[in-house]
Amino acid sequence: MNEYRWEDLSPGMAAGFQTTITGQMLDTFGALSGDMNPLHTDESFARSRGFEGAVVHGLLVSALYSRLVGMHLPGRDCILHEIRVVFASPAYAGDELTVAGAVSHMNHAYRQLEIKGRIKRGSVLISRATIRVGMSG
Amino acid sequence: MPLAPEAVLERIRPIFRDVLDLPSFDVMPSDNASTVEGWDSLAHINLVTNIEQEFGIRFALGELAELKNVGEMIDLILKKLAQRP
Repeated sequence: MNEYRWEDLSPGMAAGFQTTITGQMLDTFGALSGDMNPLHTDESFARSRGFEGAVVHGLLVSALYSRLVGMHLPGRDCILHEIRVVFASPAYAGDELTVAGAVSHMNHAYRQLEIKGRIKRGSVLISRATIRVGMSG
Repeated sequence: MPLAPEAVLERIRPIFRDVLDLPSFDVMPSDNASTVEGWDSLAHINLVTNIEQEFGIRFALGELAELKNVGEMIDLILKKLAQRP
């Protein structure tokens, strides 16, 4: 986990990671959220709706933004204020996703950091987000 | 040519609508956090961030603490814009 302080940060500073979405993650998220919609749990149903397989819950994909700011940028001292997310393309179990973020604005008066986040599978944009966080330290 | 206060008001109105989630709200110069629904501390931080981005300016905490209403914020924005190289 990174431990960036306000003074360490600057516009354009970037961080990221790669992760693979597993079927078990879909099952666990479905149980946690109660969203057992067949689009996420029934591969044949999802295919009947034109998708390649069971679609990863959008908010499961978005949970990776929580990891991005809570563990990487800024890390330990992060306090999440706001996330605005766009779901650009579906993600599927087995997808290897690249999660990246870069500082787009620093509100020095109130120490609020804005980060532009992107989640991609290869060159395919899965999600983009504007994330605003405060700093506890 | 310097902006008029009315022009600044027109540019910050969409920011207030967006941050406060009040689609038909027209913020007025006399408004402040005590007169506007949903203008809490977190909304205030987001308003400042959005206004900084809209005008390409930066505020200091001391400047913001002295503001009594939106009209004074507009005056501060105009002052910041005039100071820009």
